[in-house]
Amino acid sequence: MTASDAFDTGLGELLPKLRRFAFSLSRDAADADDLAQRTVERALISRDQWQAGTRLDSWLYRIMRNIWIDEARARARQAKVVRPLEDGEEAGFDPRPGQDAAIDLERVMAAMARLPDEQREVVALILVEGFGYREAAELLGLPIGTVSSRLVRGRTALLAMLGE
Amino acid sequence: MTMTNDPETIDPAFFAWLDGELDEAAAAAMAARVAADPELTMLAQQHRALGVTLRGVFDPVALAPVPDALLEAARSGAKVIDFTAARERRRGWMSSGWGRQAAAMAASLAIGLLAGRTLLSEGGSEVPVALAGGQLVAASALKDSLSTQLASAPAASGPRIGLTFRDQRGAVCRSFLDGAASGLACRDGARWRVRGLFQAPEGQGGAYRMAAGPDPALAALIDSQISGEPMDAAGEAAARTKGWR
Repeated sequence: MTASDAFDTGLGELLPKLRRFAFSLSRDAADADDLAQRTVERALISRDQWQAGTRLDSWLYRIMRNIWIDEARARARQAKVVRPLEDGEEAGFDPRPGQDAAIDLERVMAAMARLPDEQREVVALILVEGFGYREAAELLGLPIGTVSSRLVRGRTALLAMLGE
Repeated sequence: MTMTNDPETIDPAFFAWLDGELDEAAAAAMAARVAADPELTMLAQQHRALGVTLRGVFDPVALAPVPDALLEAARSGAKVIDFTAARERRRGWMSSGWGRQAAAMAASLAIGLLAGRTLLSEGGSEVPVALAGGQLVAASALKDSLSTQLASAPAASGPRIGLTFRDQRGAVCRSFLDGAASGLACRDGARWRVRGLFQAPEGQGGAYRMAAGPDPALAALIDSQISGEPMDAAGEAAARTKGWR
């Protein structure tokens, strides 16, 4: 298999996981699919920069995270504030079984969206995507101690927002 | 040392232990320390439940079919890519992922994401799904309910239908609740292919209540598949008349 084939095959296989990572970074499904889309586009433009034999997933996640951070800065400039979730807020899903579950999904995404970017990305990589501390540190270009302390703060804040 | 929920006061090794980052000796020492400390035990339970909740919400996204727009984006840059083969590979990846996931979920208390294998092996005559041509399809009472029942006129007993909608490829999909299982099935020819099957949450209290919420996985699966709005009663009846095509 050539490097190019490996890239195409790997990218195709990683799309579902890329989407999941996009969902955990974004505050709604539309933003998430948009983010995934732009990540794929940028990855294709930069495909020659990926070194065959290295982890394609980490490379793609890094691209997605960088796009997300760039946009977070743009969002901050626009002073767009995340609306806090009201108690008992209706999610607008009708009689589907688990309408409470749909609210849970919204609550989790809203809670994730309220974390600072640097905590959210660590929570997403380690608690959702299953990266080890060292892998996440390498992906983000951070010392492992920084990653673990951000993870502690992020998961503690999430527990406070979502737990009883 | 007294532990509180203030993250600054908690030994970082506690979280490293939770995440499987400690070596064997250190992990054993931390496990013993946690077991001897009710406050740490509670905190460990809460954080495990949080992890389960996060995976329960986000994993269905990775299990759902990839939207066409994203597939097209990936495909557009590929010099040569066999589209069908890529899709089959993805399916392969997904089915292996499901098994792993089921094991991980069972091990960590919670929502039993995708109980398909369990139902197939343990359900006996209650099994609502069957394997046909390598696909998981609705069977027996579940199949009948999917084909005939209107959500607006639920049956007194047996499987209950929730939402009916069209997915992004135009297929009719229906969510259902059948005893301990809930899920989503979509019309494929004359069959109802099961796209997700979830074990109903067990009655759990305290720290686990959050993790045991009713099927965030199903809701996420529906959200990832639905195109437009769910059908109303009239739309559902019309779809039935047309044989769910």
